[in-house]
Order: sequence, then structure tokens, then C-alpha cells
Amino acid sequence: MILGSLVITEAAVIGLVVATIQFATLLYLAALGETITERAGVLNLGVEGMMAIGAMAGYVAAVATGSPWIGLLVGGLAAGLLALVHAITAVALGADQVVSGLALTILGLGLANFLGAGYTNDARRALFTNINVPGISDIPWVGETVFSASPVTYVAVALGVLTWFVLSRTSIGLGLRAVGESASTADAAGHGVTAMRMSAVVIGGALAGFSGAYLSLDLVGHWSEGVTAGRGWIAVALVIFGAWKPGRVAAGALLFGFTIALRLRLQPFGISFSPILLSMLPYLLTVGVLVIISYRARNQPAPAPAGLGIAYRREER
Amino acid sequence: MVLARREHPTRGGQPLAFLVGLIFALVVGALLLWSSGDPVVDTYQRMWERSFGSADVISATFNRAVPLALAGLAVSIAAKMGLWNIGAEGQILFGATAAAGMARIGDSWPGPVLIVAMLLAAAVGGALWALGPALARAEIGVSEIITTLMLNEVALRVIRYLQNGAWKDKEGFGFPQITPRPPQAELGQIWQRAHLGVLIAVGVIMFFAWFMNRSVWGYELRIAGSSAKAATYVGISMRAKIMGVMLLSGAVAGFAGGIELTGTATRLNENISNGFGFAGIIVAALALMRPSGVLLVAVAFGGLQVGGLSIQSLGVSSAVASILQALILFGAIGAAVLSTYQIKLVDRKVAS
Amino acid sequence: MSHPAVELDGIWKRFPGVIANAGANLTVRPGTVHAVLGENGAGKTTLMNCLAGVYLPDEGAVRIDGNEMKFSSPADALAAGVGMVHQEFRLVPTFTVAENVVLGSAPRLISRTEINKSVAELAERFGFSAEPDRPIWQLSMGERQRVEILKALWRDARVLILDEPTAVLTPQEAEDLGRVLRQMVSEGRSVIFISHKLDEVTSFCDEATILRGGATVAASVDIHDVDSADLAELMVGESEKSTEANAERTTGMGDVVLSVDHVSVIDSRGLKAVDDVSIDVRAGEIVGVAGVAGNGQRQLTDAIAGLESCLSGTITLLGDDLTTAPPRARFGAGLAYVPEDRLGVGLAPKLPITENAVMRDYRQMSRGPILLWERAKEFSARLVEAFEVKVGRVEDRLASLSGGNLQRLLLGRELSSSPKVVVASQPTRGLDVHGVAAIQRLLIEQRDQGVGVLMVSEDLDELLVLSDRIVVMSEGRVAGVFDPREATRAEIGAAMAGVS
Repeated sequence: MILGSLVITEAAVIGLVVATIQFATLLYLAALGETITERAGVLNLGVEGMMAIGAMAGYVAAVATGSPWIGLLVGGLAAGLLALVHAITAVALGADQVVSGLALTILGLGLANFLGAGYTNDARRALFTNINVPGISDIPWVGETVFSASPVTYVAVALGVLTWFVLSRTSIGLGLRAVGESASTADAAGHGVTAMRMSAVVIGGALAGFSGAYLSLDLVGHWSEGVTAGRGWIAVALVIFGAWKPGRVAAGALLFGFTIALRLRLQPFGISFSPILLSMLPYLLTVGVLVIISYRARNQPAPAPAGLGIAYRREER
Repeated sequence: MVLARREHPTRGGQPLAFLVGLIFALVVGALLLWSSGDPVVDTYQRMWERSFGSADVISATFNRAVPLALAGLAVSIAAKMGLWNIGAEGQILFGATAAAGMARIGDSWPGPVLIVAMLLAAAVGGALWALGPALARAEIGVSEIITTLMLNEVALRVIRYLQNGAWKDKEGFGFPQITPRPPQAELGQIWQRAHLGVLIAVGVIMFFAWFMNRSVWGYELRIAGSSAKAATYVGISMRAKIMGVMLLSGAVAGFAGGIELTGTATRLNENISNGFGFAGIIVAALALMRPSGVLLVAVAFGGLQVGGLSIQSLGVSSAVASILQALILFGAIGAAVLSTYQIKLVDRKVAS
Repeated sequence: MSHPAVELDGIWKRFPGVIANAGANLTVRPGTVHAVLGENGAGKTTLMNCLAGVYLPDEGAVRIDGNEMKFSSPADALAAGVGMVHQEFRLVPTFTVAENVVLGSAPRLISRTEINKSVAELAERFGFSAEPDRPIWQLSMGERQRVEILKALWRDARVLILDEPTAVLTPQEAEDLGRVLRQMVSEGRSVIFISHKLDEVTSFCDEATILRGGATVAASVDIHDVDSADLAELMVGESEKSTEANAERTTGMGDVVLSVDHVSVIDSRGLKAVDDVSIDVRAGEIVGVAGVAGNGQRQLTDAIAGLESCLSGTITLLGDDLTTAPPRARFGAGLAYVPEDRLGVGLAPKLPITENAVMRDYRQMSRGPILLWERAKEFSARLVEAFEVKVGRVEDRLASLSGGNLQRLLLGRELSSSPKVVVASQPTRGLDVHGVAAIQRLLIEQRDQGVGVLMVSEDLDELLVLSDRIVVMSEGRVAGVFDPREATRAEIGAAMAGVS
């Protein structure tokens, strides 16, 4: 790491904060979806594939209709449908979740590349425009960054709050958490494990799809092969980093988003630090967090849902 | 409607499930091609001709099957103890990186010496890349699934770092690419285009198929995989077994990276693994974690991938191959489940 | 006359290879505590699972208050007023008491303070004390059981099924449970009490139904009309209790072969599971360890076998200090161990019979790194024959064996190396009458050959018959040492409860 002459300008700092929020939005949507899925006890390693499908379908629908909102919805729908494959094999049929999820990534990337082949380098654009909250967005610093963000950012925040509320304050949330912690207990209490888990997988997929659509309709602005660039794996990491809690995942999204933004926006600060080494940080941080979690789990239950990754079938003897 | 376990699983087993998966994939793939206006028959015909249609293409398929088979073997070795090595991708990458590093040291050595040194370095590199997850699992009980997965992305960035920095090709006209490996470090061809790596891979797999079954070590591994408590009870150290099996799995995957660098690739780059690590997991799953099965499934997948590349000239996206690979797995899962379970219709009416 | 609260009529339930219920019947009157008795494997739990919606019976009718029901899930059964407390508690460890109680029938929007209050009120009504805000993982087994009962009461269950509820309780806790149950039936509810402990049944229950081999052999017997001996005879049928005949000693005792000296063991929660325990076992004697499950017996035997490390104290085998020796060294020094968990600790269910049979001795069957499978197969064939394990082929998976055969294989393997000390934890649990007799015979044979035997059991009757001495464990400590020829059940029971 070499620190050159450190130059901090207001424009550079604001640019960095804006980019942080953008990448945090991208990561948060997908990670929130995976959080819901994992809280129900299902590991879905197909996030990267679901994001790709969401990015492709979102872009195609948006340029066809001219509406990025329709694009966002279609992106979510397409990824939700893809997630249904995982829901069927890994939940309904009880296949191994790791294998099924990885195959879903391969399927999702393949489908997105195949169906979107004609849209690569397409010049058409149907982009979200940032919302300037009247009055507030003129406030220096805060207004220029937080309150003139993409509408999808606000959607992400709203979905995060909604997820937190449903998980911690409703009977459905209690049931979903119970399904993830101990499926047989939830089943005995009358929560349909299969239905609950399949729904969680599909909803989680839809959120990953939103994330992908945000990528192609806002952050990058177009569709091409490889546009997801491994961000799906960061989302998986983020769930662990955020200890499966919507609020902490949001904080993690900002931190991981910051490392990505910093990497892309180092120049304005005059810092020469290898951006590639910085990009390893989220993965290494996650491994570190996982080690700490496991170490602590010796004396108290781990924050991971106890039933994560374990298929459930009732009449087994 | 519920799933009920059959008294006896349907006979025929996994080969049949694979076949069902293949048919399922081809049918769904045909629908996809047809719906997007691509020629279905021509595409499949071309894929077949360019993967298994002649000795020349079969040899290319074999080359492609080598990293898939070795990655599949790596996954299945770890799975013998109930561990998931999702990090074969990263281990292949780092194994290839280690081999490339060895090539930089010994670029004036005679070919055979350099090749052996590179392959050894690759195996050590792969094992090294699995060391962290192995230690974390053995000492603290950290799930190896996520740690190995995370290190894939890190390995990718190590290569990216090297190709932009220390190992950048000075004669590459400023392109961020790594210096080619020495020309003498190339595995010779043994049949058509197939290189020596094919023979080595078959040898390695056959050795492990035999070793896992027949050795004390393999037997202890089965006990440990069946139950950690049973292993401790008969005096097998779980720590040692976890370390051993993860490092071995990493070494085998890393070795695949070395074979790629000395076999088909001319220089180290980010795409040297091409998703072999992930495909290897699918291969191993389809082979039910049996080394002998891994070999056969890897050849089938190698053919799909080689065939997939050939259809681009028809104007069809090579992504078809990925789609088919994933669909085979999903189809086979469905077939396997339905062969052990039967769907029963249950009367849900509640009389009152 | 009103309908019975519960009526099970001709219930059949088959599993692959097993018929669990063969036309079982049960009738429970409202406002009574009804015992369902039977030996292990008599089909009690399966029958209750059919009533509680866990299983759908293959044939037969389930009637609640005279109405025929088809429960396809436990939730269906709960909705109809049938709640069940299983032996393995169905609680979410990370949830609070209140969250567990309301799970499945919570208000749509949940306020923590409100549910805490309602649950506390409910508990009070039935004479429990409950801390609604505590997470389950911090509670004792007895406290967890109360949460399970509260769960059923929260849904206003009219019929409560308890599957061997006292197995995890001290006698004092069991008495408290009895009081709660009386309170429930006085409100017109019914309780079904699954047990094989006759003294509890006679003190808690009004009527009893006895199952044998999956079928009902006596229905709704008035408990006041019979005594324990009658019930016992109904439960076991024709075969006499075979243990008594074998108990005669034929040899005298020798020197101390196993010495546990002031040993303490810490469990996974950091608590002292074994607290300063000292036990000597002599050659040619059987020392019984009695106690309610979960009072440190498992940790004690695991520590002797080397599966747990000792916090303090020493373990000596034939005069050698083996406190820190690894499990394999202890085995080599003449220790045989039959763990409580047969499948999963003693045996590996997914592996073939041969691979299980040679687990102790495979190191003697290898040439360098290669295992000689021919020798292994020979060995397991001999073992299977010598200990009368009924198997198809030795290549078959272990899971194909029945409980009794599994235990014979395990014990046979452990005894085949001519040990000097046998530590057996719950060796007869879950076996049928013949299985129990066979295992007991093997242990007596060992004693007669001059082997020292340490035997942990929850079955006090078994210990009274087999042991030369009984050590009672309570909360990890030795609560008393008794001579089975002189001590009474009441004395030993008091020690088990920690009453000095």
C-alpha cells in the first residue's frame, strides 16, 4: 500500500458517498433476498445466476416498454421463476441445497446469456432517474447524497424495513424463523414447512432479480454478459457478515459498497492503493466474521438459522 | 399429495437418472432453441459432431474432460467425509498460479523436469488454498462451504493482481496479461489432440478409486464421514482427518490447474479455470461422489462444453452448453427422487 | 351418555419392514388421566402419533368427541383439540418461552410485551412459574417440558398426550407434574400418559390401556382394580423376567481393575456435568450406576472411555493412569465401551456390517497402508456367528439390522478382544424382552469370567437384579452407594432425587 499525496476535495467525497450508496443498494437487495431465504432454512447459492436473469429480463422488458419500473418488476419476476427451480428441487424434492444452488447459478448465467444474446451492446436505454426530494435534496452533503438517490435505493430501504417488521413483529415472520430454526417444530405448530420455504426461496429470488435489474437499469445502464461480475457471491457473503439480520446486513452492504466505491474512485483522492487487493476485502472479512461466529458459538447458539441447509420431510422413520 | 418412501428404490439407479436428466435437458433445451428461433436439429447435430463425431474432436473432448474430472474427484474426496469443497475453482486458479510461479523460477530447465516441478507446485498451491478453510473447520468448526466459496473470488483477484503488476507481460503491448509459460513446459500429445494430461488424470482417478476403497486411510475416512463420534470412539482424530482430506482435495483441484497450464493453456489468466470448479461439483453430484462415475460424467460434460463452443458459428449462443449441464442435474435430481419416493394422493378431507 | 373424549378404533400403521400398530384400540373418557402402557417397541408412541396427526394411520378410525377425524398434520390435530408433548421436545432453542408457546397460533401482529403477559397469566392459572422472556436454550429439561405443556394449553387442548414425560424429571418434578395434570382433568380435559414405569402409572392415572406387539391387550383397565404385578404381566405377556435366574454369583471378586478417583468433567455449556465422582470396580463384579437421565452418567462413561477430557481427578485401569490417554490406548489397555448412543457413536449406520465389525481391530488387519478385506470379512463372519447376530450378508448395510442385533454386534465387537473392564451405558434400552435377556446374559458371563463391569441404566429394576453395588448419580455427584440386597427402591429413589 502506497499512500501518495492525499487530496480531498468535496466533489470527490460526495462522489464516493453516492457510489457507496449505489453499490450498497445493489448488494442489499440481493442479500436481503438471501437473508429471507436463509432465515427459512434454505441456502441458495444461485444468487449470481438470479441476478443475471434479473438484469437481462429487466433490461429487455424496460427497453421494450420504455419503463424502468416495468423492467424492475419483470426482472424480479424472472428471477423469482428461476428460484422456483431451486424451491422445487431443494425444498419440495429435498435435494442437496449446495448442489442445486450452484447448478442454479450455472443455469441462470446460461439462460441470461442465451436469451439476452441479442441485447448485448444494445444502445437503447430505459434508465431510472434519481429522485430529488423537494427541499431536502438541496441541503449540502446529506441532500446531495442520501436524498437524491435512485428510486430503487428507496425501494431497497423500504423492503429492508418491511422485512425486519415481518420477521420480528408478525406471526408469519415468527413462523418463517421457526421453519428455519427447527422445521419439525414449526410443522407441528401448524406452519407448512414446504410452502413457507418455497415462498421464501421465490421471494428471495425476486429480490435478487430486483438487484440485477437495478444493475442493468441504473448502475451500469445496459445488459452484457458478465455484467454481474461476481456480485452475487458478495451478496451471499453479506448475509453472513450481517448475521442474518436485515439491519446489520444493511450496515454490511454500506461497508462492502464502500470498498467497491473506494476501489473505483480512488483516483480523485490521489491514493495509489491496489484496487484489486481492496476488492478481496469483502470476502476475507466474511471469512473472518464466520470464524468469530463459530468461535463464539461454543457458549451460545450461533446466529445462523439452526436448520440452514437441512432438508425436511415429515414422515421419516 | 405427499412424497412417501418406496419400500424398495427402483432398480437401475444413477445411470438411469443421468439418462433421464439428459433427455429432460435436451427436450427443454430444444424448446428454448425453438422459441428463440434457433435451428434445433442443426444445433444438436453440430454439438454432437464437434464433440464425439470424430477421433479428432473426441480427443478435444477428452482434453476438456480432464479438469472437470479432476475437480469432480476433488469434490468427491471431500464428500467421502461429508465435507463440501466448493472451492475447487479457487484451488484450480491458485494451483495454476503456483505452477506459473514455478515456471518463472525454472524457465531454463528442461521440459520434463519443469513440467514435474510445475505440477507438484500446482498440487501444493491447491492444498495451500484449502489450508485456511481446513484449519478453520478442524479447529473451530467453521463451515467449509462458505469459506471455500469466498476464497474462489480471492484467487481470481490474485491472478488479476499479478497480471496487472508483478507478472505483467512486458512484451504484451501494455495489455494486462501474464508472460507466457516457457514453451518446453508443454505436455506432449498422445493421441490426436489429446495431451498427456488425459492419461495422467485417468491414472490419478483410478488410483484414488482404488485407494479410497482399499486403504486404511479411506476406511477411516468413511467412518469419520459416517459419524464424527464413532470416529473419535475408535480413536480416529477428526482434526487430522479433516485436515488431510481437505488438503488432499485442494491438492487434486490445484493439480488440475497445473495440468491446464501445461496442457491446453499457454499462459496463466483469469479464465484458466473456466468454471471447472463449479462444473466439477455438478459432475461429482451426478456421479454420486464415486471416482469411477466422475470420469464418465466428466467426459459427457466435456463433450457438451466443446460442442457448445462449436455452435457459435451457427449464430447460436454457446451458453446452451451451460444450460444443458444445469438441466441434466435438475432432471437427474427429479428422476432420482422419484425413484426412491412415490407420490401418494392423500385424502385431506376432515369429517366432522 | 356423552361420547368418549378420544376413541381409536382398529389402528394399523406399517413402516418399511415394521408393523408398528396392528389393530390397536384406545378409549379415553373426558376428565381422566389415561395411561398407555407397553414395553419399548409395543407401538405406544406410533399410536399416539396417529392420534396427534404426526402419522396418518393406514387403517382404522380416529374419533374425537364422537366425530371421526382424519388428521393430515399435527396442526390439524391441535385445531381439533389434541396436543402432544413428544419425548424429544419440539421447541426452537433460540426463541423465548413466549414465542415458543404462541408459535402457530399467534396474533397476526405480535407485541412482545403482550404475549409475555398472556403466557405468564396462562402459566399461573395452572400453577406453573414461567419466565416468558427467557430463551429455551437456557432452560433445564423440566422447564422445557413445562413450556411444551403450556403450548398445548395455549391452544386450549382438550386432550393432552405426554410421551414418557417423567424420563427427564426428578421424582420431585414428577410429583409437580402430577399436580398440574390433576388440575387439567378437573377442568374436564383429558390426559394420555405414555409410560412403562408402573409406580407412576398407579399413582397418577385413573385408567390404563396396555399395548403389546402393536395391538391392545387390555383396554381401559381401572387402575384401582389392579396392582403393578398384574400390569407388568399384561405388558410383557407370557415370557418371565429372565434376569432373575441369571443373577446368582458363581465367582468371587478380585482386585480393583477400574478406578475413577475424584473425577470432574465440564459439559459443552461450561457446567460441571460430573462433579468429584469416585467409583472403584473390582474384577468379577458389576457396579450399577443409577440416576435420572442427564445427571452426568453420559459424561462419566465418556470420560472413562476417553471421549471427554477430565477437568480434574484420575482414571486408572489395571493400575495404569490413563486419565489423559487417547481412546485407542484405553481400548488397547483392556477397556471395552458400549456407548449410550449405539448408532452414531458405537456403530456407523451408513457403513456395511463388516466395516462396523472391524472398527476396533482393523489396524491388525492391514499390510502397510492397505486394508486386507478378506481378513476383515472372516473376522466379521466369526463375530456374527459367535454372538448370534442375525444378518443377511456381512456386506449389507448396518441399518438393515434390528435394535437387538445391533447391540449384539456392538457388544460382541467390544468383547471379542477379551477386555478386563467393560463400561456399558444403557446397554438394554429400547430392546425387546429377548434382546434384553441376551445382553444381560453376556454381561453376566463377563462378570463370571472375572471382568469388571460398570453398567449405567435408567431401569432401576434391572440394576437391582444385576448389580453387586449400585452407585446413584444426581446432578453430577455420587448421591449414594447401595447394596442391592438390602436397599429399598424408596431409598435409592430418594438419592436419585438428590434428597440426602
